[in-house]
Amino acid sequence: MSTYIAKRILLIVPTLLGAAALVFLIMRVIPGDVALLIFGGDAGGHIDPKQLAAMRQRLGLDQPLWVQFGTWLWGVLRFDFGTSLWTGRPVVEELLIRLPLSLELALAATTVSVIIAIPFGMLAAIRQDTWVDYLVRVVSIGGLAIPSFWVGILCILLLVIFFGWGPPLEFTPPWVNPWANFQMMIWPVLTVGYRYAAVTTRMTRSTVLEVLREDYIRTAWAKGLRERAVVIRHALKNAMLPVITLIGTEFAFLIGGLVVTETVFTLNGVGRFVVDAVAHRDYPVVQALIFLTAFSFVIVNLLVDLTYAWFDPRIRYR
Amino acid sequence: MAVGIRCHRTLITVVALAVLVALATPAGVQAAEAPRRGGTLLAVIGADPPSLDPHQESTFATLQLVAPLYSTLLQSDPYAYPKIIGDAASEWKISPDALTYTFKIRQGIKFHDGSALTATDVKATYDKLVFPPEGVRSVRQNAYSAVTSIEAPDPSTLVFKLKHASASLLDNLASPWNVIYPKKYLDKDPNYFKANVVGSGPFKFKSYTRGSTFEGERNPDYFVKDRPYLNGYKFFISTETSVRAAAIRSGRAYIEFRDLPNADVEAIKKQLGDKVTVQQTPMTGQFGIAFNNTVKPFTDVRVRKALTLGLDRYTAGKVLFPLAGLRDVGALMRPGTEWALPEAELQKLPGFGKDMEKNRAEARRLLAEAGYPNGFKVVLKNRNVKLPYQDFAVFAIQEWRRIGIEADHRPLETAAWFADGRDTGNFELIVLPTVEASDDPDLFLRRYTTGDTQNWGRFTDPGIDDLFSRQARALDTAERKKLIQQIQKSVLEKVYYMPGLWWSRNVVHWAKVKNYVAPPNHYANQKLQDVWLAED
Repeated sequence: MSTYIAKRILLIVPTLLGAAALVFLIMRVIPGDVALLIFGGDAGGHIDPKQLAAMRQRLGLDQPLWVQFGTWLWGVLRFDFGTSLWTGRPVVEELLIRLPLSLELALAATTVSVIIAIPFGMLAAIRQDTWVDYLVRVVSIGGLAIPSFWVGILCILLLVIFFGWGPPLEFTPPWVNPWANFQMMIWPVLTVGYRYAAVTTRMTRSTVLEVLREDYIRTAWAKGLRERAVVIRHALKNAMLPVITLIGTEFAFLIGGLVVTETVFTLNGVGRFVVDAVAHRDYPVVQALIFLTAFSFVIVNLLVDLTYAWFDPRIRYR
Repeated sequence: MAVGIRCHRTLITVVALAVLVALATPAGVQAAEAPRRGGTLLAVIGADPPSLDPHQESTFATLQLVAPLYSTLLQSDPYAYPKIIGDAASEWKISPDALTYTFKIRQGIKFHDGSALTATDVKATYDKLVFPPEGVRSVRQNAYSAVTSIEAPDPSTLVFKLKHASASLLDNLASPWNVIYPKKYLDKDPNYFKANVVGSGPFKFKSYTRGSTFEGERNPDYFVKDRPYLNGYKFFISTETSVRAAAIRSGRAYIEFRDLPNADVEAIKKQLGDKVTVQQTPMTGQFGIAFNNTVKPFTDVRVRKALTLGLDRYTAGKVLFPLAGLRDVGALMRPGTEWALPEAELQKLPGFGKDMEKNRAEARRLLAEAGYPNGFKVVLKNRNVKLPYQDFAVFAIQEWRRIGIEADHRPLETAAWFADGRDTGNFELIVLPTVEASDDPDLFLRRYTTGDTQNWGRFTDPGIDDLFSRQARALDTAERKKLIQQIQKSVLEKVYYMPGLWWSRNVVHWAKVKNYVAPPNHYANQKLQDVWLAED
């Protein structure tokens, strides 16, 4: 087991390097650079080529690409992700403002989706082709078909129109004021949770249905076991492996992938930060965030793989 | 009895006069109510600032946040735009030859760090703006090209020396962007104020969380007695228009200073009734299209003329106003101002006549004469911002189809719009607005002169250069007006640039926000020193 974990951790290095190099190159290929944006302004500025060159030099953009990449990588090794070219502030400092919010949203939305998806997916499978199954399928297909940002806008409008109330516009960490935090976070958590619950419900239903047709389940029924024992003890645990993989991937995605939902609910999260950084050609920020997102994906996947062993004791890692 | 009747008449006269005065007073000044102290003004804003230094930025996202923290030398009157009044300057004198401007700096103004604001600080500020040191950006430097030196002979006197008369100088010295910084910080680092704030305005900096909020608190040492009324102000940053509108509807925010679309405004009014006030103002900005005058077929004036003739601006105003706030048909200076072309003159120019069938026939004839009897295909580059960039472009493209021009709409994200379009000249047609902080002709017309950094159409016309230079020096308003009208006619007859429509804006706020009069742009009157809240 420990050898397996060590191997997996070692594999993280080339994965992250690959992701970093790819993003570095893509950011340099697309037109526009941050110096021009700084000088360009909203309505057009007075761009003196000398000033532009000086700005590029100050930002280190005049260096050859391999030097820029090397410098950045050397910084990462020392846990220094550089300074934002757009704001002039350390990337880590900017990230720390946004990370608690994104983590809270990802955790809460994943929890909500799991709470909804597992029981309802299971119920739909064991009551296949009844009205319960149809209802679960309709609601979950609705969740898949309707974008969560649209549900979010609808949710805000309904609150405003019918109750004259809207969610707070500023994030308050739960340890500062849990009630204010709840008032703000509950809506995005529910809308995003619903979307991901829909995906997970469909997956749970399919896998439970598949398992229910296995011989050992028939044997369990034949032994005269009660429904609860058959479903929970024998079917569910075995059906969970693909569902866990899905939940893990969703969680990693939720940390930085909720750009539009964050915009709709005025959440100052990591997703919006990445998109703004791309728009500003803020290379160090984009590189750092993609690097960290890749890192979180790799770690979550490792944890998911390790969880497999608990669900299926036949799995042994070497 | 006679005395009784006389008293009665006097009373009627007094009441009638009072009613007349009340009716004649602008809405914002209609403050018979005693201003209430306290409360925090909550506002929503649609963007995060690139930096906090207004000298180096040109976005409202910077100015609206920090304007209440600073003083300026002059300012436009919060109740009577475009009248200019003093701020840090209490009075000023202009020499008879108009080459020396002497300002008296108020005594007793303190920066928020406790140090006194003197003429030396104002000099250091304007030196940075007019003669920026290496590596420091000054986006409005060209507006002060007449200035040769700035002197501070004593702590309360500031002198600007000019190489030639400048009709726009006072306007530009009242620019809300030119906030006064303390010299000692500029000496240490001219870029210090990109990330820091030390001002002398009615409010002091409190906090800023990027992408989320910006807060200022009351400055108890503000030099204007008993101001400000508010305890503070707080901006919530949200890039989504519907979210900002919902924030107003729910009362999470009391005001949006820039603009909300008419559809949202109607919904807000329907829900909140007289709890909200909408100030609809014209805007010192218009949306138009720049031709790249250096590439074919736009080197041919007949082709440029055909495109401007093919756009029905009068219908566009009706269609685009409810969608995007684009409303007024005008030339290069805002309609309704003293510098605007009179309606009769305007309608004689290509593309501004009201008979569209005649315009289109003429456009087709010109295209055929230029060698394009079946029209041609062209790429129209644009910024991927819906309001009003894309709405305007979509309308223009539909119009051009009727004269045989097939324009491929290519919205680009802002970085590419600069780098792969406007700034590099890699375009045939590009949507380009002209938005300024005042109606000053120098600001609006300089971009049509040879080599100007905002001459995005990349054309040269010595006649226009000469007219511009003469109007900039003309101190006689009538003469200046004539020259300005000639510039507009020259640009529009030769169609170097194609104005579309002039913008308007809706400033929506709760009625409890008092004493804010929206000027015709989202840059001026943002100090908030007189604003108060009738309730929290």
